[in-house]
Amino acid sequence: MKPGSSPEASGARRRSLGFLARFVIFLVAFYLVVASHPVNDAVIVPFTGWIARTSGKVLNVLGESVTVTGTEIQAIGFGVNIENGCNGVETALLLAAAVLAFPARWRQRLIGFFLGFLAIQAVNIVRVVSLVWIGRHRPALFDSSHTVIWQSAVVLFGVLIFLLWASRQTRREPAPPQEKAGP
Amino acid sequence: MFGGRAVVRLLVGFLIGLAAWFLFRDAYERAVAPAAEFVIRLGERPAVTRLEAPGREFLVNRTDFPPGAPQPGLPAPDLHFNFVLLIALFALDPHPWRGERVVRLLLALVCLYLVHVVFLVFQVQSVYATSLGAWSAAHYGYVARNFWATGFHFYQIAGRFAAPFAIWWLFGRADLATAPETPRGPRRRKKRRT
Repeated sequence: MKPGSSPEASGARRRSLGFLARFVIFLVAFYLVVASHPVNDAVIVPFTGWIARTSGKVLNVLGESVTVTGTEIQAIGFGVNIENGCNGVETALLLAAAVLAFPARWRQRLIGFFLGFLAIQAVNIVRVVSLVWIGRHRPALFDSSHTVIWQSAVVLFGVLIFLLWASRQTRREPAPPQEKAGP
Repeated sequence: MFGGRAVVRLLVGFLIGLAAWFLFRDAYERAVAPAAEFVIRLGERPAVTRLEAPGREFLVNRTDFPPGAPQPGLPAPDLHFNFVLLIALFALDPHPWRGERVVRLLLALVCLYLVHVVFLVFQVQSVYATSLGAWSAAHYGYVARNFWATGFHFYQIAGRFAAPFAIWWLFGRADLATAPETPRGPRRRKKRRT
């Protein structure tokens, strides 16, 4: 028998595909919730405003002298509007869907998501602050930094958090019953 | 699987992906545009859409546009920068250059290419359905408008980040959930204070 076709391997593959299916279902469900107008207006926009205010405070501490209106940060000669896709919520959705899809205890899931969410938002504030700085002092680098470098970095950070959390769960949890069951 | 070395590999993969993306993005866009154009034209009678990729954007042209009408331009990097994420995730493997791993990476890249083609179709149809005023209203009903616009919005908010992760999970992930359990010794009992 080939190694890939052993019962253990097929069980592992089934679990892996099961994870992926649950991940996609949760992701679509979370997206529909977040994209709905009531949730967007009552939760996402105020939360994005909080990110703008916090980033503005950090920028002012760093001597950049910015003003914040809603989700807009205005520096001297440069302004940004923080939109969906730039507020860290998209990475949090990814983390939430992956954490929920992964087999673990509910308490571990909640802890994993809560700590991961805080870490993602901390990194995202560093991102917003650095982008305003780049936009003001190195405008030629803004587009690449905004889209490719920082968005990828924040998402990779979120994935890394999930993988670290998941590898802890794999060590913590005993093998599922069907894997133990013999013929 | 995860430790300091994995993080370093991820960073190195990220930098390699970034360099490759900057080097090949224009050529890649020229490969995505005709495939998306082919798919869009399959649903058109007569087939009128033309997609051009002059660099950093996709220009939408229709042979039934009035002469001199502005061509809608769609930002291209937003569609395909997630290539960098996929390369970085594959670099998590301790031996990513081994034959089987390279084959899996190539399969994953083909999958990501198909994702880019599909969502470029969504992006173009979303422009047709929502951004061309009376023409959009005349040619796209309520359901079609929402289908194309929601599909593309999903990609913008969640799909473009989730796609590389899901593809990597399918093709490139070392066994995280499926690794054999590390045998553990009996648990030590905590001494209770009396």
